[in-house]
Amino acid sequence: MTDSAKRVLSVGIDLGTSRSSISTSAGERHVVHSYVGWPVDMVARKVLKKSVLVGEEALHNRSMLDLHRPLEEGLIKEGSAKDEAAVAELLKHLLALAGAVKGKGVDSVRAVVGVPAKALRVNKQSLRKAVAPLVDSLIIVSEPFAVAYGLEALLHAMIVDIGASTADFCIMRGRIPADEDQRTLTLAGDWLDDQLAVQIQERYPDARFSVHMVREWKERFSFVGEAKDRVHVVAPVGGKPTSIDITDPVRIACEALVPPIVETMVDLLSRCDPDFQDQVRNNIVLSGGTALIGGLGARVQKELADMGGGRVRVVKDPVFVGSDGGLAIALDASDQEWERLAV
Amino acid sequence: MSTKSERLKRRLVRELVVENLELIGAVPVRPRPRPRRFLPAFKVAALVFLPAAVFASSWVLRTPTTGAEEPSPRRVVAVLDPAPEEPVRSAVALEAPRPVPADVFPLAVRRVILDAGHGGHNLGTKTPSGLLEKEITLDIALRLREALSADPFEVLLTRDDDRFVNLHDRASWANDQRGDIFVSIHVNWLEGSRASGVETYYLGAAEDSFGSELASRENLDSGHTMAEMRTLLEGIYADLRQDKSRELAAAIHTALYGALRRVNPELIDRGVKTAPFLVLVDTEMPAVLAEVAALSSETEATMLARPLYRQFIAEALATGIRRYAARPGSEGPSAPFLRKESAR
Repeated sequence: MTDSAKRVLSVGIDLGTSRSSISTSAGERHVVHSYVGWPVDMVARKVLKKSVLVGEEALHNRSMLDLHRPLEEGLIKEGSAKDEAAVAELLKHLLALAGAVKGKGVDSVRAVVGVPAKALRVNKQSLRKAVAPLVDSLIIVSEPFAVAYGLEALLHAMIVDIGASTADFCIMRGRIPADEDQRTLTLAGDWLDDQLAVQIQERYPDARFSVHMVREWKERFSFVGEAKDRVHVVAPVGGKPTSIDITDPVRIACEALVPPIVETMVDLLSRCDPDFQDQVRNNIVLSGGTALIGGLGARVQKELADMGGGRVRVVKDPVFVGSDGGLAIALDASDQEWERLAV
Repeated sequence: MSTKSERLKRRLVRELVVENLELIGAVPVRPRPRPRRFLPAFKVAALVFLPAAVFASSWVLRTPTTGAEEPSPRRVVAVLDPAPEEPVRSAVALEAPRPVPADVFPLAVRRVILDAGHGGHNLGTKTPSGLLEKEITLDIALRLREALSADPFEVLLTRDDDRFVNLHDRASWANDQRGDIFVSIHVNWLEGSRASGVETYYLGAAEDSFGSELASRENLDSGHTMAEMRTLLEGIYADLRQDKSRELAAAIHTALYGALRRVNPELIDRGVKTAPFLVLVDTEMPAVLAEVAALSSETEATMLARPLYRQFIAEALATGIRRYAARPGSEGPSAPFLRKESAR
């Protein structure tokens, strides 16, 4: 087979703390929970009939697994071989889901992987090590940049990517973002889970619930502002399944996220060139899973109104916007550039 | 799509590719701009010497400059000292430093530096009953020195009595002694229900807010902010020393947890972690910081009060050091080296 006849597949991957997504040039798009688990013993292995479980399946069978969420704070946990292995398994799973496996109808895989803005060189190198056996060439990119590229918001825009563990803020000035263009807050989805758990526990001291239950409630019901309906969930109270009203805890926890987000936006805006501040202010994009909190975009815009105004939009498809952006970069890089970036 | 937008995207992809090539060492890392604080001093110097430079430019400055161009520091130096014609070292001309594969130099461990955390007025953590971290760490360090006395290591201590030594001095001294490994001994204080356990750190970014807080606390004497340290650390994280430190941390932690769990079955394994402790930043050898117990745990505080438990800890640390020294790829402890104990 000649080079020109090679079947090359380009992929964009958004490696997230909570969920990871993949988009491919063949039109495949998949998202999985970023959980990887290994059966704890022989019995578990026999029951599960698998040596490793990934995503939803791992989460559901967590009682039988040594469960890892390898990207806490968005970074591979340095020094933990198990977490490095978990990242490799997660990537392998994603690529397999999307049919991006060499030898199976594909001769070459080119991947662009998005990482949090604050990822240091060493984290990127750990990631490179994990991806190397699975792809032919690799570009690592900061996640807000991938989002901006996908949305073509590359000039005079602010991207706020609110994920599970971090909220990454990035001003796009038509260049690769430098340190001074970016901020990272560790107040994001996981922090919100903690706040929600505290709020619920305060109201219902006898209720028992796990972090996974809280996370699920948050994902289904989170909102800021006025509640459209009361939120009721079932949790064991004194061993008995009981319906509890968590409307106020959800609202209070979610609204606690607004002030730090707005403050960080204003701080970054104040550092922009005054000539372009208005343009940036009116081109603010919220992305990431936590941006799906009901009413968040409107609420942030309202808060900004008191500080000079601004226009905030929430991306329609926050789950895939990062991986789609990665894919766009992958397709725009030349063959020659990909050759230089072979792993 | 407009051509302008296409051009912008093309340029950004090109920059991204270069950034990634830098990451893998395929192209030299672009020099970063100097910190802003140097600029005013330079500008003052330029203003003072610019007239002289212009006056002498016909013979001093070999490269013509335009009036709009700001003189570079090199040119100012040439005006001040025109006689010697030193070759100019250009960052661009230098080949980029690349990580050295760990197996290129099979390294022997000869000199072990032990660092008993805190001391003097710096008490470290303490229990309501008055048990002090600075005393526990010193006791364990002395026991560890004794435990290693039969091994072919030279063991040195950053302090062997109750006195304050600042973090930078500890690291500098260890560097001056040309230590092969550096083991800093600390005792933890943990908040929350799981307020116990052992953990071992080597240099890297803090993995969680606890690691950040702990490093900030332990780095109080450094004079650096975490933000300043981040820049400092970027260049260090990727080097060979980090791989070695990770191996050392893993060897020590495995030995420590394995041994202590036998006498304290409820001990929590908090794992091998990374954090930017100053003693790990400033030392030039594989270095780890072991939090060998947590005074916040009543069980562990009670056990730490017993000499036998501290001896267990010392023995476990010694086992970890021996395992690291004997690992594949190492020459092991250097047998002909003088077997000697010494203290600072």
